[in-house]
Amino acid sequence: MLELKNVYFTVPKSEEDREDLLNIIDGVNFTFEAGKFYAITGPNGSGKTTLAKLIMGIYPVSQGTIVYNGQDIAGWTITERAKAGIAYSFQHPARFKGITFRELLTVATGIEDENTLLGIMRRVGICPLSFLDKEVDAKLSGGEIKKMELATTIAAKPSLAIYDEPDTGIDLWTIGPMVSLLKKEAAEKQTTTIVVSHNKAFLEAADIVIIINSGKIVYSGNLEDALPLLEDLSVCTYRDSCEGDHDAQCFR
Amino acid sequence: MLNALDKSLLKTVADLEGLPKGAYNIRKNGKLLSRKVSANIDIETNADNTGIVVTIKPGTKNESVHIPVILSQAGLYDVVHNSFIIGEDAEVTIVAGCGIHCGTSEPEGHAGIHDFQVGKRAKVTYVEKHYASGDGRGRRTLNPTTKVFLAEGAEAAMELTQIAGVDEANRLNEAVLAADSLLLITERVLTDGDQTAVSTNNIVLKGAGSRANMISRSVMKGDSKQTFYATMDAQNKCFGHIECDAIIMDNGTNETMPSLKAGHPDAELTHEASIGKIASDQLTKLMSLGLTYDEAVNRIIQGFLK
Repeated sequence: MLELKNVYFTVPKSEEDREDLLNIIDGVNFTFEAGKFYAITGPNGSGKTTLAKLIMGIYPVSQGTIVYNGQDIAGWTITERAKAGIAYSFQHPARFKGITFRELLTVATGIEDENTLLGIMRRVGICPLSFLDKEVDAKLSGGEIKKMELATTIAAKPSLAIYDEPDTGIDLWTIGPMVSLLKKEAAEKQTTTIVVSHNKAFLEAADIVIIINSGKIVYSGNLEDALPLLEDLSVCTYRDSCEGDHDAQCFR
Repeated sequence: MLNALDKSLLKTVADLEGLPKGAYNIRKNGKLLSRKVSANIDIETNADNTGIVVTIKPGTKNESVHIPVILSQAGLYDVVHNSFIIGEDAEVTIVAGCGIHCGTSEPEGHAGIHDFQVGKRAKVTYVEKHYASGDGRGRRTLNPTTKVFLAEGAEAAMELTQIAGVDEANRLNEAVLAADSLLLITERVLTDGDQTAVSTNNIVLKGAGSRANMISRSVMKGDSKQTFYATMDAQNKCFGHIECDAIIMDNGTNETMPSLKAGHPDAELTHEASIGKIASDQLTKLMSLGLTYDEAVNRIIQGFLK
C-alpha cells in the first residue's frame, strides 16, 4: 500500500557551505503492506522521525518516489495526503490558543454532532469525555495533549496511520492499553500502522520491526532477530563527539 | 424605525436581530433613537446632555442592558459620555458596541467614554464590539475609553473587541480595584490595510486581595500597526497578570509594552508576551487533518480572536 523507492532527504551540513551535503535519509527502499503494524526504531538522530515526516509530506523528498495505493505522492501537499487517508500523530503536538479538542475532532472527522463525537471518544477510550471542550493550549499536561493527539488520529479513520513516539509523556499504566488500541485498529480496520518508538511494548506488538541507522534501513523483520543489532546500536558509535557532556544523549 | 443598514450594524456589534429584550438605549448619528427601561434598570440622559446614566438597582439578578451606537452620517464625529452605576450585589450584563457605516469620503468617528461604578460584591459583564463597514473612503475612527471603579468584592469581566474596518483606534482602559475585587479584561483587535490601533491600559490594584487579569490578542494583517501598553500598579497584597499575544500576518507591525509595578512586598505580578507569525507546527497539524494552508490560517486566527 505504501512503497518508498530510493528515497533521499538531503540538507546542507552548514549554512556557510551549502554545497557540502548530508543525507539524513540515505536511499531508503521499503514496502509497507496494508493492515500490518510496523515499528520503526533506531538510535537518536538516525532519521526515524524524518522518514515519517517524508511520508506525511511535512518534509519534501530530495530524491526518489513514494507510491501510495498506486499513485506517486512525493509531490503532494500535506493536505492532499491527509485527504487521501494518511494521518500523522506528532511527538510534540501543536498547542493552540482558542481551539478546543472538539474543534480538532470536527476538523479530523467532519462530524459536528456532539453525540457522535462523544461516541468516537468512547470508542477510542483513551480520553475522558470531559476533554471535549478543553482548549488544546499550554495548560494541558504532556500526557493529556498526547491522548488528544492519538484520539484525533484514530478518529480520522486513516488507511495509513503514523505515530511518532506515541508514548511521550504518557503514564506507564496507559501504554499497555494504547498498544492494544493501535493493534485493534490495525486488525479491525486494516489500518496500516507505523509507530516510531524506542518503547519495547510497541516493538513487541509490531508485525515487523524496522531499524534505521544513519538514514538507512539496516534491518526489517521480527523482534527476536532484531535484538542483537539493537544492543549493538545502543552503544555510542560517535566516540569523538561523545567525550564532552554536551552530547549527553550518547550515554544511554 | 430601524432601517436595513441599522439592523445589519446592530446585528454585528450587539448580536441583535431587531430590538433587544430588557433595557436598552440605541443611539444613532449622535441622537437617541430608542430607549426602554426596566423595573431594575433605569436609563436617563445625563445633565449636560452628552450621554446617558444607567443605574442598576442593588440586588438585580440576571438582567441585561444593550446600549449600541450606530453611525452612518458622513462627517460626523460623535462623542458620548456614559455612566454606569451598578448597585451592591447586582449581577448584570451590559452590551455596548459601535457600528460605523461609511458610504462617502467624509470621515466618521465615535468616542465612547464609559465609566463604571461597580458596587460591593456586584458582578458586571461588559461586552463591547467595534466594527466599521461601507465602500466610502472616509476614515473611520473609534476612540473608546473605559474607567472602572470596583468596590470591595466586586467583579468585572470586560470583553473588548474590534472586529474589522476601523482605520484608527485609540483605546484607553483604566481601572482601580478595591479589596477582594476581581477584574478580567479580554481585548481582541484585528487590523488590516494601513489601519492603526493603540490600546493603553492602566490598572491599579489598590485593595488587599484584589486580582486582575488582562488578556490581549492582536492580529495585524496588511501593513497595519498595533501598539499595546499595559501597566499593573500593585499597591497592596494582590495578584495581577498580563498576557499579550500578537500574530503578525503580511507586513503588520506591533509594539507591546507590559509594565509591572510592585509597591507592596506581597504583590504578585506576572506577564507573558509574544509577537510572531503563526507557529508552523500549528499550520502543519491542521493541514495534516485535511485543511488547506489558507483554511488552517483562518481557523487559527478565528480561535485566537474567539
